[in-house]
Amino acid sequence: MFFIRVKGEEPMKKGIFLKFLVPCLAVVFLVGFSTAAVAKTIRVGGIMDTTGATSDVGKDYALGMSEAFHYMNDAGGINGKKIKYTWFDYGYRIPEALTKYKLLKRMKVVAIMGWGTGDTEALSPTVNKDKMPYVSASYSAHLTRPVDWVGKDGKKHGGTGYNLFFSSDYSTNARACLTAWFDKKWPKNADYGKRKPRFACCYMFPSPYCSAAIKAIKDHATMLGFEIGPDQDVSLFAIDTKSQIMALKKFNPDVIWHGNTTMSVSATIRDAYALGLGAAFIVNNWGFDENLPRLAGDAIKAKDGVVVLGATPVKFFGQSSDNMDQVVKYAKKYNPGIPASKRLNRTPQAWGDALVLWEAMKRADKAGDLTGPGIMKKGFETMKNFHIGLGAGDVTYTPTDHRAATACLVPEYKNGKIQVVEFVDLKARWPKKWASEWHGW
Amino acid sequence: MKKKLVLMTVLLFGLAVIFASCAGMQAKPTEANFKSPVITLESFEVPQFDGYYYYSGKTKPTKGKAGNHGSPLPMSFLFNVNNPNSYPVLSEGVKFTVAFEGFDLVTYNNEDSIWIPAGKTTQIRATTLITTRSALLSLLVTGGYKLKAKGMNPWQAMEKWWAGVSGYTTPVTVHEGAFVFKADGVTKVLPFKATFP
Repeated sequence: MFFIRVKGEEPMKKGIFLKFLVPCLAVVFLVGFSTAAVAKTIRVGGIMDTTGATSDVGKDYALGMSEAFHYMNDAGGINGKKIKYTWFDYGYRIPEALTKYKLLKRMKVVAIMGWGTGDTEALSPTVNKDKMPYVSASYSAHLTRPVDWVGKDGKKHGGTGYNLFFSSDYSTNARACLTAWFDKKWPKNADYGKRKPRFACCYMFPSPYCSAAIKAIKDHATMLGFEIGPDQDVSLFAIDTKSQIMALKKFNPDVIWHGNTTMSVSATIRDAYALGLGAAFIVNNWGFDENLPRLAGDAIKAKDGVVVLGATPVKFFGQSSDNMDQVVKYAKKYNPGIPASKRLNRTPQAWGDALVLWEAMKRADKAGDLTGPGIMKKGFETMKNFHIGLGAGDVTYTPTDHRAATACLVPEYKNGKIQVVEFVDLKARWPKKWASEWHGW
Repeated sequence: MKKKLVLMTVLLFGLAVIFASCAGMQAKPTEANFKSPVITLESFEVPQFDGYYYYSGKTKPTKGKAGNHGSPLPMSFLFNVNNPNSYPVLSEGVKFTVAFEGFDLVTYNNEDSIWIPAGKTTQIRATTLITTRSALLSLLVTGGYKLKAKGMNPWQAMEKWWAGVSGYTTPVTVHEGAFVFKADGVTKVLPFKATFP
């Protein structure tokens, strides 16, 4: 304890000090440090692709994710705590994703927003060991089964308890798209009732994303009675797919599943139109966006254009739905140099993942446990029919099932507009298969 | 004596509070008085140049594992950020896309916090890097049709750019740029674009 003493005077008595100086100092300390005391910051990391093989869709997603975190902070953060969101471009390179994960872990992030299937699946054992909630843009069905399980073939699979996303998974998308075509388009075919419908797949064989739903969609095609033709290997970078289209012409499919992203999907549709293939396309969500008709041009827009259906986890950028006004507002505010006409549905998709994490963090924080396990058990796995808006389905996670949505909206491009074909709820239509067969692949 | 000491303490405390209040009131940032900082691209440099090359995964390296790898092209941008306000402003991050001849190659982003004093200019450096591999992928998935329309292939384009950018003859454009500034809870996002030289 220090006492102020003026030369030649008696030392100040403790009583006076306590009566006046301590309250004064207390006020100074309170005024000076109160802001710092309440301004606790929670770190969240991001691993995005803005330069790599999926940057045609990844850049808009990365921008949208950053905008979503600005919104969250403006809307109160995590019960008053500010979120510091730090993201890196990993160029769709798995080794780079691993190094960025290590960096983010050192930065003490409480959760990570991830991107691709290859890197998310490669990181899955690590994030589960580290108990790090990992909300990815990969909707691979392989990431939806939290508890260890054994497949029909006897193969053991590790649980993916810390992997999440807000959307229907790729296998659900694929099954839903094929069902929608089978329900709504096949009955209008001249050969309906005369023969089996013919089905084939186009995708980049070595890409974990592109191939993630192939087993499921072929299983579904078999169940619905399709004849299945040979797969075609189409690179994510392809702008010329004539050889694949010529090979498909020999089989003459009625419908083709495309599992790539927008650029190579548009290239395949262009060549299919130019070479008169005559098949319809059903496309996974990362190949179906506002850019598809721009890139495919007349192949979609012409009166005799290719019929293209796609999986859509959210409405397109700016389309009417709750929370979309915030998406548009924050895109304009934080990226004023990018016109709205260049934004894609990847932005609301990013918001979908961001909003479920936000809700989980708020719930965990309220329960006094803003840790990885807390965010998972007291956050995500308490969500039942949680509404995020944006045209997305309501979200449910349980300790044994991380399939957020049971259904998928399947629209098509028709007469220059996007129009709903069918809303396919797999759980409602095939409840037994949904519950016991179609989980984790 | 005791009285004198107590009075002195109270006086000092009172003065401290008054000064603190005045300092705060003098330049309270608001939406209305928050003037946009002025951003200029002061300079651009290639910090290290290793030439132009590309090895596919089929090529056996002298050391290490084979893979699709290419020469790096690091790029460093120095921005002047002038704060015309009578209060300090916090830069809370910057992002922009780098393009050569209208082709986007990389989107840079950071969330670094840097204070810019009232009425002063601060220099903010942003360094990023592409390789012939990353540029190839980026070009193919976002600029494939455009390249084809121009009668170019990605290899020709990259070889030309690697020489031209390192020699400061190929213009380097930063666009879709945005600085995020904050001042006492007021946020201003400033778009920018620039080309060097």
